[in-house]
Amino acid sequence: MTTDGDTAPLDAADAMRLIREQRASTARRLEPDPRVHYWPWGFAWLIGFGIYFLRFSPDGRTLVAMPAWLPLTLLFVLLAAAAAVFGVGSARAYRHVAGESARRGSWYGASWGLGFLSLSLILGRVTDSLPHDLAGLLWSALSVALTGALHMAGGAIWLDRTLFRLGVWLTAVNIVGVLAGPGWHALVVSVAGGGGMLVAGALARQRHG
Amino acid sequence: MSELDPVIHAQARLRVVVTLATLADGDRITFPRLQELLAMTPGNLSVHLRKLEDAGYVEIDKTHRGRTPTTLVRLSRRGRRAFEEYTENIRALLDPPAPRETR
Repeated sequence: MTTDGDTAPLDAADAMRLIREQRASTARRLEPDPRVHYWPWGFAWLIGFGIYFLRFSPDGRTLVAMPAWLPLTLLFVLLAAAAAVFGVGSARAYRHVAGESARRGSWYGASWGLGFLSLSLILGRVTDSLPHDLAGLLWSALSVALTGALHMAGGAIWLDRTLFRLGVWLTAVNIVGVLAGPGWHALVVSVAGGGGMLVAGALARQRHG
Repeated sequence: MSELDPVIHAQARLRVVVTLATLADGDRITFPRLQELLAMTPGNLSVHLRKLEDAGYVEIDKTHRGRTPTTLVRLSRRGRRAFEEYTENIRALLDPPAPRETR
């Protein structure tokens, strides 16, 4: 393919096949496996909130004994790891592409960062004066609420149905969990929220081909 | 039957145009990355890009990213339109639009 193609004979069927193949291969290489966008978060939620549920179970019980600091620390480590995988994956795909997509991506990334920064500053101010179970519920419910809203916004920016629906799903799951109360919230978010992200990743992968 | 655009209707240039058209409107790609996506030699790619630029289909910007010089390539409005037209013409050739007149 590196030879001069000016003189290469090309009939309509060849040209059509070439257009299709080249478009598919470019799209595949510019946007790698969409599971990179969903699965790190899905696993982080499934494991992180799952362990939180086991330690801080409904009605103040503890299903599995472990130090009180462990579940939240583990959750934050998992979320940070997910953010790293996600960031490296998107930056690699979009390296050497400049312009509107890159700006869209970096502004969207900044809204996540700033959104969670302001959220944690606000919560840090008030949660000390709350009982432990309510403080935990407030942290996780507001984080999931912001995550759901940002997913919906992302769906609107890229007109991505999977992303938008996932945002709606996370919002609904969050409301159900909050109504169920402390302890249950972590279980619902772990299974339905984390599981929803894994399903969304599988669906996006299927569509991607 | 409309003529196929000779600037686009050549295997190597068609691949270049398709790749650039896959980028979102308003996006530009660096020369080395484009070369990598196409698996072309720099010399070969330059020749084709020049022909596309001469036709007004491609815009090439030489800028700096920090201190390193960077060449950014994008499909122009005109190039995008020309490619759409070309694709339609190819489709029409493969699937003639007026089947009733054939009898």
